[in-house]
Amino acid sequence: MTGTRPAPGARFFDEAAETRSRADIETMQLERLARILPHAYEHSPLVRSAWDAAAVHPRDISSLDDFYERAPFIDKTTIEHWRTDRRDPWGGLLCLGESELTTILSSSGTTGAPTLSPQRWAPSDGPVPAGLSRDLWMMGLRPGEFMMMVIFTFRGPAFGMAQQFGATPVLVDYDADDMLRFCELSLRYRPTCLYNLSSVIVLAMADACERGGYDPTDVFASYRALVQAGEPLSAKARAVVASWGAPMFEHTNVGDVGTAFQCPEHDGLHYWEDDTLAENLDPSSTAPVADDERGELVATTLVNGTTPLIRYRSDDIVRLTRTPCACGRTHSRIWPVGRKGDGVVVDGRTILPIDVWPAVEEVDACDLGLFQVIREAPTMDRLRLRVGHHASDMHLAGIRDAVAGAVEARLGVVPEVELVPDAELLRLGPPHKIPRVAAR
Amino acid sequence: MDGRPLWAIAAYDDGSGRVPWPVSHTEIERTMGGACSTLAGLGVRAGARALCCSVLSESAHFWPLMIGTMINGGVFSLADATVGDALRVAMFARSLQLHAVFGVNEAILDGLDDLGIAYADLFAGIDVVGAHPGAYERLLAAGLMPHWFVLCGPAVAIATEPGGPARVDPTEWTLASDGDRILVSNLQPRAQEFVRAPTCIRGRLVDASGFVPNPGGAVPYPTGEM
Ligand SMILES: [Zn+2]
Repeated sequence: MTGTRPAPGARFFDEAAETRSRADIETMQLERLARILPHAYEHSPLVRSAWDAAAVHPRDISSLDDFYERAPFIDKTTIEHWRTDRRDPWGGLLCLGESELTTILSSSGTTGAPTLSPQRWAPSDGPVPAGLSRDLWMMGLRPGEFMMMVIFTFRGPAFGMAQQFGATPVLVDYDADDMLRFCELSLRYRPTCLYNLSSVIVLAMADACERGGYDPTDVFASYRALVQAGEPLSAKARAVVASWGAPMFEHTNVGDVGTAFQCPEHDGLHYWEDDTLAENLDPSSTAPVADDERGELVATTLVNGTTPLIRYRSDDIVRLTRTPCACGRTHSRIWPVGRKGDGVVVDGRTILPIDVWPAVEEVDACDLGLFQVIREAPTMDRLRLRVGHHASDMHLAGIRDAVAGAVEARLGVVPEVELVPDAELLRLGPPHKIPRVAAR
Repeated sequence: MDGRPLWAIAAYDDGSGRVPWPVSHTEIERTMGGACSTLAGLGVRAGARALCCSVLSESAHFWPLMIGTMINGGVFSLADATVGDALRVAMFARSLQLHAVFGVNEAILDGLDDLGIAYADLFAGIDVVGAHPGAYERLLAAGLMPHWFVLCGPAVAIATEPGGPARVDPTEWTLASDGDRILVSNLQPRAQEFVRAPTCIRGRLVDASGFVPNPGGAVPYPTGEM
């Protein structure tokens, strides 16, 4: 944003940008496409190859409708092909010379080995999108306040979002062993926003309150926003967070192109359409699905000229609406649902990890909700699950029966259950999420 | 201290555990200058790739090294200094032709052991392997020639050569000893002043900015997995 900061009581960080009309949003998107498409076509070997194969050129795109009708897609498989077969570590996406890079980060590696993410940072600012300040304001943080950061380091300096906003980050390790310090620092600095919660961290915080003799409602009294990202919190973790009395805001990435946060209405996650052009398409075709229906998120960056993803089929199944939100923001909202290809067909019905989840976590010894669906093939004779537990070996047979019974009661299929210690599944992390589907 | 909100509340280990450490933007910006010289002395110049392994509360120690790498024309990468992120350390070491890795600790080595990855092989082609006390000795035993890399309270101490003493930026810090532990004092204005402040590091001083850690000389703090 330009000009002065809004008054502390203002509803928006950047009212003009956040409440733009749909027509203005689309005009801006088209202007930005007109810059990014020729750049990507000129410099990204993958984008050029996809567009040449489709016999389309950026000069053929003079409207958003042209783009939706003519621009070819790219997906994970295409990028992987460039990495492996063409031996390009940047997946055909890098638009700069390697000597121009400043930073090479990596993906989480939840669904395979981590992949490289090359970046060029301006010396003064680092890779913090300006839109994050809108999000922080939206959730109630104000400049001059403290923002608690509980996050790993490998993705880059997440604390930069607080600094850019004019807040001071309080740095705590993403480690259950550091949660006593979290309690002490919360009481000492009284942060107003926390980034970021996962089931494991929530339960570790609750445990630290108990061990340290802290009243959790006091520890969390100053927080206006607890940000949660990664996979959904387990039922147990949700109940714990609710008992703390501070509002939680979900956060997700948008097709590896942008990010989205809940607003105070808690009715979907806003992403900023001046950075990200998102479509919601039928997962098995190129047809758009209706507003507010489930589809596959297809994302295009409007700002990343280093590794521009153009019409990237994300495999993420979401609900998406362009209807303005009750909060007054006009930018679209999404609701993450799951991953394309995570379903396994048993007895003629498709079962997704999200269907198994509540059954697993209703068994006490498995209440961290750690499990994997074993998917050897898209269709299986039996539902096979690998389930994490925290119990002594003598109880294992009982736990196995309890999980199988809970799954049968909910889904009508009797699963084959392999029990493993929670720690074994957590090792498959990064700690905020584990792969929910395994090939064996 | 500079009219801006604090850069962060980070943490350092004073020997009794990690304590909160308020850090200003001014001191971080100033420290980057020193980091650039240290890094250049280690060969982290244009085109060199460096991997920084840390946990979030160590960001005030590591950020000047990351940005210093960038200012010197190098490229930096990041991994968490945990058992669980050892695979990422291995991925970077294998795919990037690293010139330097900073912050190798025992958790990472434990993780590499779990993965069956021999660190003698993994780190063999890397010119500068900066290792914390504990990890340093294990790398040495594996036949590598690591550099000391020590978080000495709020100061970062890096050896200029394998086997040489760990050195802090002499324009920022001066060291002393209480006969057992290394003590630090700051020489430039900081949001928090340090006057002979105790650290978690035991070692032998060689001068006012250099020391050699004792074998097993750090009081370890947990940086494990969850
Ligand atoms: Zn809203």
